[in-house]
Amino acid sequence: MRKSFLFAVIILGFISMPLVSDDGWGSLKGSIVVDGAAPEISKEKIDKDQASCLSGKPAPDDDNLLVGPGGELKDAFVMMYRKGTDPTPAIHPSYADAKKQPVVLDNKNCRFVPHAIFLQTGQPLEMRNSDDVGHNCHIITFNNEENINLATKDSVQVTFTDADKTPGNVVCDIHNWMDAIILVRDEPYAAISKADGTFEIKNIPAGTWKFQFWHKKTGFMKKLDVPNYKVGKIKADIEVTIKDGETLDLGKLTLPASSIKKK
Amino acid sequence: MRNVLLQSSCLLVVILILTTLTGCNPSPEPQFRFNRVAMLKQEKTDLSEGEIYPAEYQSEISNILTALYGTPNEPRFPFPLGDDDPAHEVLSLDNLNQAAGPVSIDRLHQTAGLYRELCSHCHGISGDGAGGTAPSLKPYPRDFRLGKFKFKSTPLRRMPTNEDLTRIIKNGIPGTAMPSFRTLPDNEIEALVDYVKYLTIRGQHERRLIAELANLDGQPILDFDLLKETDEQGQEIDEETIAENLEEFQAQLYMVVGEYLGEDIVSRWVEPEDEIIEIENAPAAFLLDHPAHATLILQGKELFYGKANCVQCHGETGLGDGQTANFDDWTNDWLKTAGVAYEQPATYVDFLKAGALYPKPIVPRNLRTPVFRGGNLPSDVYRRIANGIEGTPMPSSPTLSTGEIWALVCYVKSLPYENQGVKRNELPVNERVVD
Repeated sequence: MRKSFLFAVIILGFISMPLVSDDGWGSLKGSIVVDGAAPEISKEKIDKDQASCLSGKPAPDDDNLLVGPGGELKDAFVMMYRKGTDPTPAIHPSYADAKKQPVVLDNKNCRFVPHAIFLQTGQPLEMRNSDDVGHNCHIITFNNEENINLATKDSVQVTFTDADKTPGNVVCDIHNWMDAIILVRDEPYAAISKADGTFEIKNIPAGTWKFQFWHKKTGFMKKLDVPNYKVGKIKADIEVTIKDGETLDLGKLTLPASSIKKK
Repeated sequence: MRNVLLQSSCLLVVILILTTLTGCNPSPEPQFRFNRVAMLKQEKTDLSEGEIYPAEYQSEISNILTALYGTPNEPRFPFPLGDDDPAHEVLSLDNLNQAAGPVSIDRLHQTAGLYRELCSHCHGISGDGAGGTAPSLKPYPRDFRLGKFKFKSTPLRRMPTNEDLTRIIKNGIPGTAMPSFRTLPDNEIEALVDYVKYLTIRGQHERRLIAELANLDGQPILDFDLLKETDEQGQEIDEETIAENLEEFQAQLYMVVGEYLGEDIVSRWVEPEDEIIEIENAPAAFLLDHPAHATLILQGKELFYGKANCVQCHGETGLGDGQTANFDDWTNDWLKTAGVAYEQPATYVDFLKAGALYPKPIVPRNLRTPVFRGGNLPSDVYRRIANGIEGTPMPSSPTLSTGEIWALVCYVKSLPYENQGVKRNELPVNERVVD
C-alpha cells in the first residue's frame, strides 16, 4: 500500500510538469503597507572614496528599509512557494522573450541600483559600474555565488544555474555599506513591491498555488495580514486560486511595524 | 582501628570500581555533530524572537543523515541508481572506510582511521572546521559543510578536481596551519580526498535538510520501524518481510534524496575537470632576463592601481591594508542573519554558544611577502586573479585580458623583491616595506 503511494507520488511528479496550461492564465496583485511607525532609518556610513560616492551630497538613507509616507513598503518579495513534491508550474509563452532580456544591476554613486532584483535561472544578469571608482559585485545566496571585479565603466553578464528558496545578498566588499538583494528562481512567478507598495505577478497558470512574502528586514512576513487569507506561521505562505482571465486582487496587505527588525 | 581499616578498604573498593568504570573503558564512539549554527539561523529567520523548532525536527534530520551517510565509524553513501550511479565516479566506499573509523594498522600495514589521525583535530570529526585546535588558528580550518573551496583550478561554485584537493593535502597551505602530508602514500591521500568530499556532501545535505525542515511540518518522512527485526510482541519477523521492509525503506530514503535534497550537490562533483579554466602561456617577457620584463612589471603596476582594482583591498602599499573590515563566507553565513551585528557581540552570543567560531575579519593578502596560499607558481597566481577565490571578497576578473592578467601576475610576483637594497628612509612613500 505504502509502496504504491510512493510510486504514485513519483509518477505524479513526472506528469505534473506541463509546459502549457490547459486551464488558462490569471494574475495576482496587491499592495503591502506597514502599520504603525517603522523603525528609524539610519544613514549609510560612507567611509571610503567619499569624493566619488557622495559627490558633495550628504550620506543617503540605508536602502534596506524604504517606507513611503503612507507606510508603503518597497522591495518586499512576493514569490511562489513550492515544496519538494509540489507540481512545477507551466510557463506562459510571454515569459520566453522576457527571459532573454538581461536584468541590470548598476553600481551608481556607490549604491546598487536597483536595490532588489529577481531573475530566472538561465536569464542573464548584467552588472554595470557607472562610477569612477572600482567595485566588486559579490553575490552570495544559498545555492549560488558570483564575485565579479568591476572596473570603472565595466559591464559583465553572468547567468545562474541553480534556483534559491529565499533571496540572497549582493555586496561590494570594497565599500561595505553597499548591498542589494537577489532572488533566483526556475519559474518567473515572483514580484518585488514598488515604491508605492504594489506588486503584480502576471500570467500565472490557472489553479491553486501558494505564494509567500519576504522582506530583508522581516524575513518571511509571518505577521503579515492578508485580508480573507490565512498566512502560514513559518513560511508566510497563502494559498490562492488563480482563475483564467482574471486578476486576483489581494487588496491592502498590512505588516505590523513591530515585526520589522531594527538592524 | 578496625573502623579505619574498614573505611580504607571501602575506599579501595570504590576506587577500584571507579577505575573499571571510567579509566580503562574506551572513549565513546564519536558522532557527527549536528549543525546547530545553521539550525539557529533557520530559527531566527523563520520563527519569532526566542522561538525554537521542536527537538523532533533535529532528530528527524539526524536520522535521515545517519540513514544516508552512516556514522564516523561506519560511513555510508547513497547510490540510488545502484552500480550505474554516477556518484561512483565521485568517491568509493573502500576509500571512505580507509579514511573513517578509529586509527588502526593491520599486519599487512594497511592503515585505517586516517581522517581521525591526521585531520580531525583541526577540521573536526564532522568536517565543521571546529576541531579542538580551531579557535586558536587564523585562518580557521576549513568548514567543508558549505561546499566552498578556495584554491582550485575551477571557477566559483564549481567543485575542485581530485588533483586540486590532492595538491592541497600534499603541499599544505603556506601561511596557514595546514601542513603538507606529502609523506603519505598516494592511496592514503586518495582516501582522504574522498573522505573530504563525503563530509562536504553530507554537510551540504544537512544544511539543505535544515532549510527544508519547515516543510516537514513535524511529520517524519522516514519510517524507521521498517528496519526492526522483531514485531511489537517481540516475535522475530520472517526474512522475506524484512527484505521487503528494507526495500521500502530504501525507496523512502531515495525519495528524500530526489525530492528534498536534489541531485545537484552530488552531480557537481562528477567530472569537475570539464570546468577547469585553461591558461594560455605566459608572454616571453615574463622571464626575468627578458629585455621587456621591466615593462611588463610596469604594465602590471598600472593595472594594479587602476583598472584591475587591486589597490582597493590590497592597499596603496600592497600590504593588504586597503579593506580589512570584511568576513569570509563561512562567517558571513551566520553573521549576516538579520539582527546580528559584528560590533555588538551581545547580538550573536547564541551563535557562539551553538558552536560558531568567534568572527575574525578576513585580511587581504600582504603581497610584499612571497607567501602565496594557493601556490606560488605563476599559473596559481594567474588563477587567483582570473577566477577569484571562492568564499572570500577576492573577485573574478572576466574583463581583464589574458595579457593583462599575466602582467599583473608579473607585478605581484615582483612585489616582495621591489626596492630591495634601498635604504628604509629612502623608500618611496607609497611602497613601504614590511618590518
